[in-house]
Amino acid sequence: MAPPVLAEKPTVTPRPGRRRRPGFGRRDHLIGWLLIAPAVVYFLVFLLFPALAALYYSFTDWNLRTAPNWVGLANYTDLLFDDAKYPHFWQSIKVTLQYTIIAVPLTLGTALIQALLLNAIHRGSNFFRLLLFLPVVTAEAAVGAIWRWLYDPQYGLINTFIELFGIPRQNWLNTPELVIPALSFIAAWQCGISMIIYLAGLKGIPTSIREAAVIDGAGPVQRFWRVVVPMLRPTTFYLLVTGVIAALQVFGLVYVIFSGGGNRSVTGGPEQSGLTYVLHLYLYAFRYDAMGAACAMSFILFLFIMIVTAMQFKFVKQEAS
Amino acid sequence: MIRRVTGAAAAVALLAGLTACGGGSDEAGASTMLTYWMFQDRTPQAGEVVDKIRADFEKVNPGVTVKIVKIPKDDYNTKLGSAISSGSGPDVGVLDQPLVPRFALDGTIKEVPAGLVDEKAFYEGALETNRVNAKLYGLPIDHTAVALFYNKKFVPTPPKTWDELKQIAAKVHQADPKTAGMVVPKGDGYGGWMWPGFVAGAGGDMVDVQNKKIHFNEQPAVDALQLWVDLLPSSPREITDSDKSFENGLAGMMISGPWDVANIKDQFPDLQLGVAPLPYKTEPAGNIGGENAVVFSKGKNADLAWKWLAFITNADNNTQLAQALGGFPVNIAAAERDAATFGPDQAAFLEQLKVARARPAVPEWIQINDEIIAPALESALSGKSTAKESLDDAAAKTRTLLGWTG
Amino acid sequence: MTRNVRKAPIYIALVLLALVSVVPFLWMLATSFKHGSDVYTRVPSLLPLDRKTGEWSPTLENYEHVLQVGGLGQAFLNSVWVCLILVPAKLLIDALAAYAFARIPFPGRDKLFVVLLAGMMVPTITLLVPRIHVTQQLGMFDSPWGLIVPNVASVLDIFLLRQFFLSLPGELEEAALIDGAGRMQIFWRIILPLSKPVLAVVTITSFIFHWNDLVWPLVVLNDPELYTLPLALQQLASSESGRAYYIMAGAALAVIPVIIVLLIFQRRIMQGLAFTGLRS
Repeated sequence: MAPPVLAEKPTVTPRPGRRRRPGFGRRDHLIGWLLIAPAVVYFLVFLLFPALAALYYSFTDWNLRTAPNWVGLANYTDLLFDDAKYPHFWQSIKVTLQYTIIAVPLTLGTALIQALLLNAIHRGSNFFRLLLFLPVVTAEAAVGAIWRWLYDPQYGLINTFIELFGIPRQNWLNTPELVIPALSFIAAWQCGISMIIYLAGLKGIPTSIREAAVIDGAGPVQRFWRVVVPMLRPTTFYLLVTGVIAALQVFGLVYVIFSGGGNRSVTGGPEQSGLTYVLHLYLYAFRYDAMGAACAMSFILFLFIMIVTAMQFKFVKQEAS
Repeated sequence: MIRRVTGAAAAVALLAGLTACGGGSDEAGASTMLTYWMFQDRTPQAGEVVDKIRADFEKVNPGVTVKIVKIPKDDYNTKLGSAISSGSGPDVGVLDQPLVPRFALDGTIKEVPAGLVDEKAFYEGALETNRVNAKLYGLPIDHTAVALFYNKKFVPTPPKTWDELKQIAAKVHQADPKTAGMVVPKGDGYGGWMWPGFVAGAGGDMVDVQNKKIHFNEQPAVDALQLWVDLLPSSPREITDSDKSFENGLAGMMISGPWDVANIKDQFPDLQLGVAPLPYKTEPAGNIGGENAVVFSKGKNADLAWKWLAFITNADNNTQLAQALGGFPVNIAAAERDAATFGPDQAAFLEQLKVARARPAVPEWIQINDEIIAPALESALSGKSTAKESLDDAAAKTRTLLGWTG
Repeated sequence: MTRNVRKAPIYIALVLLALVSVVPFLWMLATSFKHGSDVYTRVPSLLPLDRKTGEWSPTLENYEHVLQVGGLGQAFLNSVWVCLILVPAKLLIDALAAYAFARIPFPGRDKLFVVLLAGMMVPTITLLVPRIHVTQQLGMFDSPWGLIVPNVASVLDIFLLRQFFLSLPGELEEAALIDGAGRMQIFWRIILPLSKPVLAVVTITSFIFHWNDLVWPLVVLNDPELYTLPLALQQLASSESGRAYYIMAGAALAVIPVIIVLLIFQRRIMQGLAFTGLRS
């Protein structure tokens, strides 16, 4: 069985001949640069420059309207230490970490199960794939409305369901402890994109390897752990890294659930239990007139995401060696 | 102002080569163009009303085109803020009431020129929402207030006082434990917006801006919060948290605004809806909402912009406009002339507007409302602290935030 | 026969999962055919039934309203055009870059990739305002190009494509190199055909994203003539009026192209390596 292709250092892959590069040198470098040039220009103009501008603003008291005044590190120190000025900063971190820890594994697990099921059938697979993907394309307003109903304390189906198992009814979206699990469950329900990425990964496993495993007498469970899981490692790695980044920046979901029309307030659910980091940031940027502080928040988050992602890369490398 | 940050010029030049398509500025037209930003219409009919007023204005001002940009309310401030920062903001536009002091103090909006309008032609409460440090920075275009919605099936006569409110709520819940007395507001931004109406109903006040004093932890405010806490046993959250619990007949009463009346009649035709002024403790009172319109300092054609605002708030046009916006006319002559056209459901709101009070003109008010007052309300409502404790705590935090020592 | 029996549990599981997935979608469809007074029933009904009598009572009036209000046809075309240019352009730029990052060793490549990845980690909301400024400096504010150029590449997609390219077996490519094929030939003739599943994934996800994107068009467009579909749908019913039935009718119309794109490109996902003769 061929060892899995590693996410990170392609050069470590012990596939013979990979490192011997016949017949190119400088010209190849030039082509490499040319191929990435459009993406790099885009990156400089629409990512790096805006990010540097935001970094500058994070040291100012900018409010979008008047010229920014330099305030040094004040935004950062106030955020971290001034409880009166930013009473819910730490709360928003707590909420976001809870969400990430619950939602990411739940989403990836659901996506993998769905992809494996779809991959195991032929007849009707197109049909089921479409159905399982529908949550992604359902209008946000419908998603908000239907999940508020599913979680409804009086008529919600979820309460009806758990009562069958003798669990008492819950007021899901209005009980601080239950808000994050409830939101994570919706995220898992919308796992369609991860599902098709897993599916593409599964289709990428050469049939020869599967067949070899069958000939070796491996059962379905063994095949799953010894063939599927290792072969899906680049896919899982990608989904994990991007999933964690997305979860740490979660915003739309909370917004839809807690502000889907009417006069629901966007202040983040009962007792700020759904006040995620980026919702908090958004409120300071556009509602409380503190774009400078919001930019500082975004760089604190940026540093945190960098560290978490670097750890993930490092972990994968260690696994590999 | 970001133009100062043209260190990006290099990167920009790089991309300029890639995109052979500069949009170019098409400001130069034959006619004078005035850009007006407003919230998205509530209904297509409302859109037609606004269109007609615009056409009328263009007729009496030959050579003038008013370009109206409609923006979803939830996204309005995001778009406005980013547009102002890049110099692409409107000439004139709607501004949320609590934003007026902020924009006025940093010079983003212009002061109303003397003699533009007769201040006495406007309802005072609505006009006051535009006043900062004794100067007027905008005109109200409509105003609105919340009132008590009740289901006649459970509540034959609406309560006038807090005591009656508590009794009726208890009775409704007693008669059927599956029905809540009232949808008690929550400790969120929306609840924080309604609460001052109750504080005022007990004769209290939120803050004294001039003397930099906090009043919302004094007895009237404590009583107002205690009222909400006292209502909870007869109005359990597990009933009222159900979506549209009042409309579905699960609760006897709720608090809402005129915009909800049409929706309820449309979507819940069987509900026996009644609307009454808010119950009070010592004096009738309420809060005020609605839309103001301002002229931006960086906009063009300021004179024309003021003319437009005077036009949409004059006695001829204001009723139609305000109704389209889901509120009431701010022009007294218009309101009195058209009073009969509002219908019986609207009477309670009109009562309410007579006693409505403006939000404190503190630039940080939205933040104080969301981040300090709302959590304090929630803390008392969830039983984590008493009303007095949570409000004292909120008052202390507000003092620190504003740097008020009193 | 036994094969089918063994697959029965799989089908049962799929049916259950599909039910959970499809109900909100059906509710959206049903609501779009409901009279206003039938929308908010205690227990949401997945059929347009009369609130009182429970009888079948659908209406087309929401669709009529949505189409009459105007602007929607134009907005639909605007969205189609933007996506027709944006999605392929973005796919090409991303795939070229991902290929270089995955396969062509040039100095500084891995460091550059790390910098690119870092760019993905700055919360996009903070970048919104500076991006508007750049767009304006480039003269693309309030123009269709302002919707396309600022979105024409995606680090996320480059990352995904690179991961996939890395997992392709290198033998074919190296054989082609020895045979004297150029890099571009390899890209077009070998890499892209092998990558249909992942290219389909990227096409689908970026189409869905841009088709539904509300925030960027909202801040960058002022002219109603240029509005894209999500902006025009917002026009239908402001959030406060709560008229879900209009929104759902608009949303149901908007979802049709998404389903078409999905049906076309989904098949590609299933054409994995099995069809490319790489089995041996």
